[in-house]
Amino acid sequence: MIEVKNVEKKYGRKRVLKGLSFTAEKGEITCLIGINGVGKTTIMKAIMALTPINSGEILIDGKKIRKESFEKVTFIPDTITMLPQMKICDAFSFMADFYKNWDPQRAEELLQFFKLDPTERIANLSKGNMAKVNMILGLALNVDYLLMDEPFSGIDIFSREQIAEVFTSHLIEDRGVIITTHEISDIEHLIDRAVLIDNGEVLKEFSVEEVREKEGKSVVDVMREVYRG
Amino acid sequence: MKNYLKLLNFEVNRFFKLYLTLIGLIIVSQFIGAIVVSKGYMNVTDQVINKNQLSVSQYIKEYGLFSFEQFVGSEWFVLPILFSIAMLMIYVFFIWYRDWFGKNTFIYRLLMLPTERITIYFAKLTTIMLLVLGLVTLQILLIPIEIKIVTSIIPTDFRSDFSSSHFDSLEMLVWLYPNAFIEFILIYGVGLILVAVLFTAILIERSYGLKGIFFAIVYGMLSFGVFIAPILLNVFSNDYFYALEIFLMLLVMSIIVLGSAIWIANHLLKYKIRV
Repeated sequence: MIEVKNVEKKYGRKRVLKGLSFTAEKGEITCLIGINGVGKTTIMKAIMALTPINSGEILIDGKKIRKESFEKVTFIPDTITMLPQMKICDAFSFMADFYKNWDPQRAEELLQFFKLDPTERIANLSKGNMAKVNMILGLALNVDYLLMDEPFSGIDIFSREQIAEVFTSHLIEDRGVIITTHEISDIEHLIDRAVLIDNGEVLKEFSVEEVREKEGKSVVDVMREVYRG
Repeated sequence: MKNYLKLLNFEVNRFFKLYLTLIGLIIVSQFIGAIVVSKGYMNVTDQVINKNQLSVSQYIKEYGLFSFEQFVGSEWFVLPILFSIAMLMIYVFFIWYRDWFGKNTFIYRLLMLPTERITIYFAKLTTIMLLVLGLVTLQILLIPIEIKIVTSIIPTDFRSDFSSSHFDSLEMLVWLYPNAFIEFILIYGVGLILVAVLFTAILIERSYGLKGIFFAIVYGMLSFGVFIAPILLNVFSNDYFYALEIFLMLLVMSIIVLGSAIWIANHLLKYKIRV
């Protein structure tokens, strides 16, 4: 389980996260929802120790992040994290070099699924294909938790569909996923839990299934209630 | 350790094309220089001898022998070295900033590697030192060849006897050929400390943003102050200390400056760094 407890984060005098708390379980897809600038990416970075927090605590399976944690949890940011001059296959061998949990077979499978050429240079890829390669760099790691920052942002509809398909496959099953989005419609049917965030605070955290069954509401309905009052 | 070596290999490869260009530039410029300077000298010599109807010994008496320093002091020799130093100095900064800027923020990947983050710092530090020492080695290898070129153009009568072993007298080359192992350690040890302090200053800036620039400058000045404190102490106490005592104090200060640079960098990379 990933536990985010009372996390505060300031940029200068601006409080970006104001005592934010939520949990994400293994085997579930948790979606952080909120408009741009509410602190979704900051939370992801804070979980990965890519930005310091002012107070609060973040635990991964009960432990603070350390070097071993990066074999357990990975982050797929909205920008590709490999050098542009690298070929896709170079990027894969870089991953294989450093991560014990890199699964080359799975990387190969995904490459075929996305119909990508391993000899293609990253710099020459379209935005959609770059997002797919970025996705593979995360998915081919045998980690327990995946953090994805706006995986659907700014890419074409067919790439979106392909990426969404991955969510329903065995590649995601049993893992804990935290995903951020400001457009819920793409993934509403995929997520298990929703965390509505505004202004650095959690407004509501709920199980999508439960709300759907008990109250007959979709995520968008709940969002309407919460954000519009 | 394994990850350190892999990162080191990776970092060296990233600079390798530019490095080969620098190597090529040094070789071409110095070889052409050796020919141009020697031929130029012989042309002038021939002209003077012919014009004034001098014998070789009269010419030597009046104008002196050709010394290798004339080549070593020429732009052909010096400029590519200065250019390489400038490039490496720029690369000290670029080696970090390139990972933050641009479309592909590689720093995400580096900081998410399942290894101590200070390994990245050590790998980059070693890369810079290897690049510097590589160029120094290249220069050491080039000099005997350049001597051959010069001696093949200028006859023995016109030049002083020079061979690689006589370079102690050439001030320019003291940096390349330290007289003793201890001198080598001193020169390149100070270089290592300088790069380490600059790296830590960069990480301070990367961790604290605009405020960080101010902190980084203060940190840099403090480190410099601590480093030269024994020398200042000796100056203000009218040379009260023996040279060995000053040396030992400098050594202690160096360890303190280097140790604190690494400690601060480790702390920043673990807890303060921002992507």
